[in-house]
Amino acid sequence: MGARKNGFYPVMLLTLIVFISIVALTLTNAVTKDKIELAKKDEIAEMLITLFPKMEGFTYDEKSDLYIPLAEQQPLGYAFMAEKSGYGGAISILVGLEPDTTLRGIRIISQQETPGLGSRIAESFFLQQFPGLAVDDVELTRKGGEVDAITGATISSSAVVEGVRKAILDKLNQLRRET
Amino acid sequence: MHSFTKNFLKGIIRSNPTFILLLGLCPTLAVSTSLDNAVGMAAAFTSVLLASNIIISLIRNYVPIRVRIPVFIVIIATLVTIVDLILQGFIPALSKSLGMYIPLIVVNCIILGRAEAFASKDNTTNSIADALGMGVGFAWAIVLISLIRQLLGTGALDLFGHHLFTVPGLGDNPVTIFLLPMGAFFAIGVLLALFRWMGVSTGE
Amino acid sequence: MSNLIAIFFGMALVNNMVLVKFLGLCPFFGVSKKLKSALSMGIAVLLVMVVASVVTWPIFHFLLVPYNVEFMRTVIFILVIASLVQIIEMTIKRTNLTLYNALGIYLPLITTNCAVLGITFINIDQAYTFPESIIAALGAGAGFTLVLIIMSGIRERLDMADPPLAFKGTPIAFITAMLLGLCFLAFGGIIG
Repeated sequence: MGARKNGFYPVMLLTLIVFISIVALTLTNAVTKDKIELAKKDEIAEMLITLFPKMEGFTYDEKSDLYIPLAEQQPLGYAFMAEKSGYGGAISILVGLEPDTTLRGIRIISQQETPGLGSRIAESFFLQQFPGLAVDDVELTRKGGEVDAITGATISSSAVVEGVRKAILDKLNQLRRET
Repeated sequence: MHSFTKNFLKGIIRSNPTFILLLGLCPTLAVSTSLDNAVGMAAAFTSVLLASNIIISLIRNYVPIRVRIPVFIVIIATLVTIVDLILQGFIPALSKSLGMYIPLIVVNCIILGRAEAFASKDNTTNSIADALGMGVGFAWAIVLISLIRQLLGTGALDLFGHHLFTVPGLGDNPVTIFLLPMGAFFAIGVLLALFRWMGVSTGE
Repeated sequence: MSNLIAIFFGMALVNNMVLVKFLGLCPFFGVSKKLKSALSMGIAVLLVMVVASVVTWPIFHFLLVPYNVEFMRTVIFILVIASLVQIIEMTIKRTNLTLYNALGIYLPLITTNCAVLGITFINIDQAYTFPESIIAALGAGAGFTLVLIIMSGIRERLDMADPPLAFKGTPIAFITAMLLGLCFLAFGGIIG
């Protein structure tokens, strides 16, 4: 017991424990890393399919940050991510456009809005208002647009609308500059 | 075997971590908005508690008092990260809805509390019993609260994507306030009063 | 600038640590019986939150990200917070004994306060910049202190009130927290 009382032993022990911890975590990370990446990709792919049901696969263009859903090698439209801060934090939204750049639809990838109120932005009764809108109509009805806000969740609704509109405008500008 | 049963049972009612000791309330209230989340959190919490109690009871005689807390924290944090990574990789939907409350299990007072008060003083068998008992105690508390909140707040009961049933009359007009944060305070406040009224002494 | 103000009030009032995020409930119910101790606890948490954010943000962005070891976040952050609390405690003890007597017993409790670890996670998850994360920590700490003070004021009066026997003590404190949360819900409008 004598050795355990002196200053050296506790430090050694703590170092050893930290070392074991690092090894254990590195191993777990090595096992789960690919799975986690895959889960993230799957999530976007699943959402893409609900936007473009005819899709057979998709490509991702890193330079323009666009997802291009394909059927028989032909693009069905474009999709990209939009982000906007809502009530409880960042909301990330997948925006789908038709080839003629009208809105195909949107899907909520992640959000931390209040359950039961703001979180309803991910439900279909809200999302189904978006398909077919022109960019300028993506605005809440009380501000002259075409989207009805969710009762009791104006902030979350308006965050989605603002985020989507801004993302489409930015993306169109960016594509115009590139071509 | 007698002490095993005794140590197992005490966490379920007599020293229930949630309702009697009032410990580790953060996850209990934060993620109890749906039954899915409650079950997921209970499973994650119990795995970490069980593993930490086993490891700490095994090394308890080699850890000097001066570095006890840092050693325990590193062990618990490692276990929590492992659970977090596994959830992210294999059940991404659950991992997303539990969010930062999974890594926050590290600072859950119950786990460090059990390590300090039990596993660092008792043998491995008893520590396993203690962890399982506390785990079950935590699980039924969080599941009960989430049941109340989901039933009243959405007017229906769903589990892992299966719709179980709709409450008559509530389905179209749910009491949304139960899903809001304050609904959690209300639910646990009324439950505590109910237990006390039934004669259980809830902790002060 | 307006962005920083929005973050501050968003953290302090709209996404209040205690009432909305359920972080730091143990001190909220444990140390809110007397106004004086509530104030000391609140300030101690505010202090540790800001220092922890200042230290963990660079560690994450300049150490963990470049080496691809973001998964070490939880372990590193909790160790950093535990050491910081120790250092702050020793510094205060040496420099200001009055302050130490006021805050001393609360400091060790803060290591396992989920609000502190929580704010460092929020800073990373919300992708805040360095100044933003400091403001977020200030806001979160201020919001925590505010509800702790309000709660202690209510509870001092509650001691003299006469609720149904079964509700006396903790249950009525939870109901009070619920009503407080309802009041704070109204702050939602200010970031709209």
